[in-house]
Amino acid sequence: MKVLVASSGSEYFAVQAICPHQEVPLCEGMYDGKVLTCHQHLWQWDIRTGAAMGIAEAPLERYDVTVDGDALYVHAQGALNVGELFNGIAPATLEALAKLARREEFAAGAELYKPGDAADDFFVLESGRIEFKIGRGERSDPAGFMLNRGEVFGWAALLESQPHRIAGACALEDSVVLRVNGKEAVRLLEADAASGLVVMRRLAALVARFLAAAGAK
Amino acid sequence: MRIQLNARNRAFQFPAAPGEKILYAGLRAQVGLPYECATGTCGTCKARLVEGRVDDAWPEAPGRKFLKPDRGEFLMCQCTPQGDVSLEVASFVYPADPGAFRVAPIGGTVSAVRALTHDVCAVEVALDAPCEFDAGQFMAVGAPGVTGMRGYSMVNCDQPATRLEFVVKKKPGGGFSEWLFSGNAVGARLDMVGPLGKATFHPGMGKNLLCIAGGSGIAGMMSILGRAAADNYFDRHKVHVFFGVRTMRDAFFLEELSRHARAEVTIALSDEDVPATAAAEWPNLRFQRGFVHEVAKRAMAGRYEDVRAYLAGPPPAVEAAIRVLLLEAKLTADCIRYDKFS
Repeated sequence: MKVLVASSGSEYFAVQAICPHQEVPLCEGMYDGKVLTCHQHLWQWDIRTGAAMGIAEAPLERYDVTVDGDALYVHAQGALNVGELFNGIAPATLEALAKLARREEFAAGAELYKPGDAADDFFVLESGRIEFKIGRGERSDPAGFMLNRGEVFGWAALLESQPHRIAGACALEDSVVLRVNGKEAVRLLEADAASGLVVMRRLAALVARFLAAAGAK
Repeated sequence: MRIQLNARNRAFQFPAAPGEKILYAGLRAQVGLPYECATGTCGTCKARLVEGRVDDAWPEAPGRKFLKPDRGEFLMCQCTPQGDVSLEVASFVYPADPGAFRVAPIGGTVSAVRALTHDVCAVEVALDAPCEFDAGQFMAVGAPGVTGMRGYSMVNCDQPATRLEFVVKKKPGGGFSEWLFSGNAVGARLDMVGPLGKATFHPGMGKNLLCIAGGSGIAGMMSILGRAAADNYFDRHKVHVFFGVRTMRDAFFLEELSRHARAEVTIALSDEDVPATAAAEWPNLRFQRGFVHEVAKRAMAGRYEDVRAYLAGPPPAVEAAIRVLLLEAKLTADCIRYDKFS
């Protein structure tokens, strides 16, 4: 794993070292103490949070940093915290969500769910590749979604009135996912309404982006 | 042939004609595929082959240095499908409004080659059929016996255009430019694909204009200035142009730039002091010694309000200008337009 460590003068920050757009090393980019810019296509991020800014279409994975004397420690992150949905919510709520999550491995070709299955759980991709298909059997078409580590799928489980899967998901390569029960997650988010609002706003943006039609963006 | 494209957000299907590059086929189908140079150098249009076979028209394309071939990566601007193919691109891809991309193959004949300096010439191409394009766009141009296509920005801005004018710099060992300078180019057929490019200008955008160009990068700026002048844009908005060349001997289009009397045009000379005669000879132009991004930085300090910047030229010059605009001027990335050619 490659990590970029940046200093604002008084503080250190650590983020993924490779641009999520075209795999360009971000150490060749531009940094003014607050904003990191990839020099290739000018994607930008808040160095403090890893949040996408400007024309960037994906956030950066960020890591906590602690300084102990001359040593700098970069803390590894779970997939739940790197994705755009939960990044930066209250630590206690994130920890409770992590406790709900079950880590599951799927061999290449294994099916996670198919259309019509109960949509009880949502998933966070930890590693590997998942393919989505719309429609059934012979008449199914690849939905074409591609997910990065930390991204959420099966998010119907977080919505009301969406009891069944409308697409199928299967592992294209050996993959590891976190499975979280939607109802229990919503209950946690209700108990921490500030974090809940953040997550629901991001979920709304996510849904809008995947539904985006002509001219939208 | 049918192309199945899986992007980060959704899938697309579009057809490709025999021999057609996947990038051009997708744009023709109004699929907003990622690209910048569209001619094999920048690597932006890379994709991963999932199923099927593609034929690479230019295996030595410089943009292949951005690829991992063992993962099935290829450049969509160079590859034609051999039967149905399925591929993946890592970015979000959106459908464009119908007619937004006017990419099509266009033929033409070189009607004139005119020297602008000792190593830069203007090339005029008479088109087989009229063509419409936005100011700031370019064509992918292929010439007889030259592998791969090259991107050249249009200088003219008349719509629809029956001829196109390009600026070409002579590069030692550059197959295309050497062929043009050889004297045999007039009357030759050119195969083009376009118009391409997203660094476009529309008078309706209503912003102050900042154009920073090095060398032959001034070509697209001439088109933008022409379009702006036709719309009386200078009545409503400030227009700043910075044109960087090495010495006065390398400068061109000064007559044409002078005609835009209400634009503030500065010629930046990187390799010599400003000759004493320059100001008298070109009263409508300003002259400064320095690299074009440095000259622009000095002149523009505190004047970036409501600016849309257009950049073009040699990659190091564009990169240096981007740094000035992002880090010093604090412009946001959406206010900076350029098409990368490396």
